[in-house]
Amino acid sequence: MRRKMSSKKLDIKQKNATSKTNKRTKEGKARGRAPFLFLAPAIIIVFAVLIFPILFSLVVSTYNWPLSEGAGIRRFVGFGNYLALTQDSEFWNSLKLQLGFIFIAIPIELLFGFAAALLLNREFFGARIVRSLLLLPVFFLPILSGMTWRFMLQPRYGPLNNLLIKLGAPEISWLGNPTTAYIAIIVQDVWRMWPFMFMLLYAGLTAIPQELLEAAEIDGAGFWKKLWSVIIPLLMPTILTSVLLRIIDALRVFSEVYVMTEGGPGSATMLFSLYTQRQAFGYQKVGMASAMAIFLLIISIVFALTLVRKNMSLDVLEEKAGA
Amino acid sequence: MIYFHWENKTPKEAIMKRPMLIVALEMVFAIALVGVVSAQTINVLFWDDAYPRTLMEKIPEFEKATGIKVNIEILQPPQVFTKTSVSVTKERTDYDLVCVDEGNIPLFASLMLPYDQWGPGKIYKKIDPNTVTPAMLEVGQWDGKLVGLPINGNLYVWMTRKDLIENPKYKADFKAKYGYDLGVPQTFQQMLDMGTYFYDNGIVSGGFGPFNGGPAGVFGEAIFMWYSFGTHFIDWINGKPTLVVDKAKAVEGMEFYKKLMKIAPKGAETMAHVERQAAFCTDPKGVFTQFNWPAQIASYEDPDKSLVSGKIVYSAPPAGPSGRFSIRGTWAVCIPLATKNKDAAAEFVYWWASKEIASWLVEKNTVPARTDALTDPQFAKTKPWLPAIAESMKYAVARPRFNEVAEVQDIVKKYWIMGITGQMPCNDAMQKIIDETKNVLKKAGY
Repeated sequence: MRRKMSSKKLDIKQKNATSKTNKRTKEGKARGRAPFLFLAPAIIIVFAVLIFPILFSLVVSTYNWPLSEGAGIRRFVGFGNYLALTQDSEFWNSLKLQLGFIFIAIPIELLFGFAAALLLNREFFGARIVRSLLLLPVFFLPILSGMTWRFMLQPRYGPLNNLLIKLGAPEISWLGNPTTAYIAIIVQDVWRMWPFMFMLLYAGLTAIPQELLEAAEIDGAGFWKKLWSVIIPLLMPTILTSVLLRIIDALRVFSEVYVMTEGGPGSATMLFSLYTQRQAFGYQKVGMASAMAIFLLIISIVFALTLVRKNMSLDVLEEKAGA
Repeated sequence: MIYFHWENKTPKEAIMKRPMLIVALEMVFAIALVGVVSAQTINVLFWDDAYPRTLMEKIPEFEKATGIKVNIEILQPPQVFTKTSVSVTKERTDYDLVCVDEGNIPLFASLMLPYDQWGPGKIYKKIDPNTVTPAMLEVGQWDGKLVGLPINGNLYVWMTRKDLIENPKYKADFKAKYGYDLGVPQTFQQMLDMGTYFYDNGIVSGGFGPFNGGPAGVFGEAIFMWYSFGTHFIDWINGKPTLVVDKAKAVEGMEFYKKLMKIAPKGAETMAHVERQAAFCTDPKGVFTQFNWPAQIASYEDPDKSLVSGKIVYSAPPAGPSGRFSIRGTWAVCIPLATKNKDAAAEFVYWWASKEIASWLVEKNTVPARTDALTDPQFAKTKPWLPAIAESMKYAVARPRFNEVAEVQDIVKKYWIMGITGQMPCNDAMQKIIDETKNVLKKAGY
């Protein structure tokens, strides 16, 4: 009887405990759902403007997808577009040109930006005005920048050749020669974007505690020692952020190069982005263009992971700051 | 006076009913207005050029006469191509009328209403296609059907500096050196001789004005030279575009153009329309001779924009070893199958292509496609380019047309420029063109 009673009590107790647990779980679940409900609009927007276009692009890249209905019907080809790209010499040429553009232009912009930030990291009469004026090129529309440089480099009427003629040098067809045309688009990019680097690095420099620099001076460190051992390590996250942002931007460079050279002469400046546009809107091959876009996405992710993972983990940052 | 019987209602009911009545009336009015407007409005896609821009001045007259409102979108040719590609399908269209460049007719033909199915026209009579010069009419034809009405008489016309060839000193000097009279070049050799004379003596900045801009334009130059030296590039054989080029003749054509490039203005490797116009019209020395599209003549003859206005003599292109040829680049107006305003769109085209409007367009220095407007004697003296255009039409040839032509144009542009600028031997450049074009045709299943 007692056993029965106690087992009954036990059951009741267990039931009470289960019901309390259930109640707590339900409350917990309700509380757990609430944040997601609040986040839902943001998630929907991110899905609509970020995730869905990427997924759609991925799907389109597996189709032979003409831009115009008149060009033919859509047909599933699996990895056919990717295979065709690997056999396309123009694809490899454009990739080589795009990577060359990144690895030449960005270090130069970093160097100029860093040098300017160091030079202007002091107060003098008109410092604010100088810093503001230096930023002007960044605010130029890319297409305007491309057009301006195209006219400046015009062999017959451009001011650059006019100057060369006055100095006794021959006229140069800057955009008519494959080598000088490629250099010209890099110079244009450096001119327009080095102030971007300056802006970010200057902000980083002003955040470095003065006490650390003073302490280094007291320890007998000169300019170069301070730069190498104190400033650069502390500025590294800013440097890497700037470089990463510029790489992402440089991978998409289009309008200024299109206006300057349209990818020519020949295909000397046919960057990856221009060739993607040509595939989609010139050749009407949206599937191929999407495959190229996915390829570009993979390259961007590789760059981002390499830069962020290796050098921006907390442990690494603490270690560098400690050193 | 009308009284609303509000006195039997409560104040609240009276207050509510009046605004509701007004809103209801407004909605009915708006629906009626939309209904009226949408039935009488057409959306038209124009290419950006002096010709459509000139026509826009006259459109209010058409709207007044017909009650049809015309919404115009005017874009650069590449954007017209893209817009047409994405906006027009068999089931839906954003435009009731689109302008299609002749090279793109194969791509869009299946989406357009054949001309024989266009309505008869209410206020403006349907245009007889035979009013269009036969050389131009071919532009709108594809697969045995006329799918659009050619609307401008655009093909190579040759321009030569009248003031230079009429200069007594130059005439005597040239005759002494070359043994024949200076004049409008009739052959390629004469063009090279005269251009070299003026260039080497520093009289001009360029003895010849090449075109090395967009792919379609460079393709046109290459086709022009190949035809002139006796070879086609791609012909339709047994229903397929087939590479038929004679490499040896094509290389000859490229080599000759390379000689012309040596007497071209500085920067000729990248000369597009803007640079050519600047070199010919605003350079104090200018260019001796070059082709031009009639659509651009207005700017060349505008005294406010050109130092050589009134100093240009127009002719058909000079003859190569295989004869005279003139590259055509005409636009056709097409009505998409999916439009719900076929008749209104057709009415607009009949007005646009009428004799009255064509004559008015000629007076404004633009070039319609109607034979009677181009050959009207009243314009012969004041518009000296018109007889030249009519003459050029006798030698009109088209660039190859097929769906994959854009890829082939890029290939030709790339290696043609490398060949004519000496970056690559012409023989090698031509071989590259042949090999890569064959690849494109093979991949396309031809």
